[in-house]
Amino acid sequence: MKRVRQLALGFAFGLSLGTFAHADETATQPYDPLERVNRVTFALNDVVDMVIVSPLVSIWNAVLPQPVRQGVSNVFDNLDDVYACVNHALQGRGTQAGTDLSRVLVNTTVGVGGLFDVGTKIGLKKSYGDFGQTLGVWGFSTGPYVVLPLLGPSTLRETAGRAVRVTTDARNLLPTNTYYALTGTEYLATRADAKANEGLIAASSLDRYVFVRNLYWQRRSNLVQEGRQTTNPSSQP
Amino acid sequence: MSQLFRSLLVMIFGLALVVFAPSSRAETIAPDELVRRLATEVTNAVRNDPELQNSQSPKIADIVGRLIVPRFDFQRITQFAMGRNWAKATPQEQKDVVEQFGRLLTRTYSNAIASLKELDIEVKGTKTNSAANDVTVKTQMIGRAQPVAIDYSLINSAAGWKVYDVTVEGISLITAYRDEFNTLVSSSGVSGLIKVLKKKNGE
Repeated sequence: MKRVRQLALGFAFGLSLGTFAHADETATQPYDPLERVNRVTFALNDVVDMVIVSPLVSIWNAVLPQPVRQGVSNVFDNLDDVYACVNHALQGRGTQAGTDLSRVLVNTTVGVGGLFDVGTKIGLKKSYGDFGQTLGVWGFSTGPYVVLPLLGPSTLRETAGRAVRVTTDARNLLPTNTYYALTGTEYLATRADAKANEGLIAASSLDRYVFVRNLYWQRRSNLVQEGRQTTNPSSQP
Repeated sequence: MSQLFRSLLVMIFGLALVVFAPSSRAETIAPDELVRRLATEVTNAVRNDPELQNSQSPKIADIVGRLIVPRFDFQRITQFAMGRNWAKATPQEQKDVVEQFGRLLTRTYSNAIASLKELDIEVKGTKTNSAANDVTVKTQMIGRAQPVAIDYSLINSAAGWKVYDVTVEGISLITAYRDEFNTLVSSSGVSGLIKVLKKKNGE
């Protein structure tokens, strides 16, 4: 099962590299030539969310008290910091990578395996970093906007980045059942976090598809621009 | 994704903050000082009044209705959000869009004021934009798991400093709506946009 998934993702990666050509961050308008397909996926995701994910999230929220949920989120955030550290290094952002590393060390030890975010409290700022951003900093353009089944908004470049993360994740060394349990928990924790804000999106948007697309596009553009601005030019590949 | 949603949620707090702007004494002070004072006053108000901590309280609507209009430049917000479509609208249509869009923003974002009781806002600095009367005040919201960057763009005119955009972790409110407005105007014209806004506002 895992192998199939990896192959599929590897394929997606190759595909994306081959088609990076069009839109770039500088475009204010998201590049969305696949809008018709994307809208269908968007609608399907809504259905899956309503029928399966939302009930699970409700159970999750009901069973676990807030400090526990925060702890679970923190553990996954700590894993994200490891990933951010690697990517900031790849982007030539040494200072950021150093802070990430300090965060991981502090949070894993003093923060009991990442349950508590001690790093933030002592002034080590969390900064987001992923491989899609790294590709952007390296000069790959975003490619078209895509809505992924279950995972939601993405672009071809971010999908490639995600594929790299999934295939290189240390979690792959875990037994299959543990792997899925962990990934499932992470998904649920993430969705529970996001849930609170979705009502707002629904209330404030006129065309939710367009609204979400724009928020996603702005966020990704910012991450890449931030990466480019803080990159030391001599260390760029 | 969760980052994105978090940012959006925070956008509410950002807007909610400005909602409470006391209009009387704000005009003469610098924009960063204005934002700083607002932050203190708003968070204090919410902390000291249990009624304001209930998002269903009619008191919120009352305060929002009284204070949001003088502190927000809805005309400018709408104009920027409309972009090139602004010129296509008749004066009456422009007036309608400003009114309906203002109502939408006020209504959706005032619900979040209650959450301000656990949050603090620190002013980080001011950046001058294209002109001396156009600045961005950078702030950081503290009290959630991670601090969140919120930038308020203000413009100074005869009516004093007014907010025309709120940017949360780099996501601009105006830009977010411009895309939607564009889509609607190209499919059904400015009148179609007004119709959707009115429907959204329950009219």
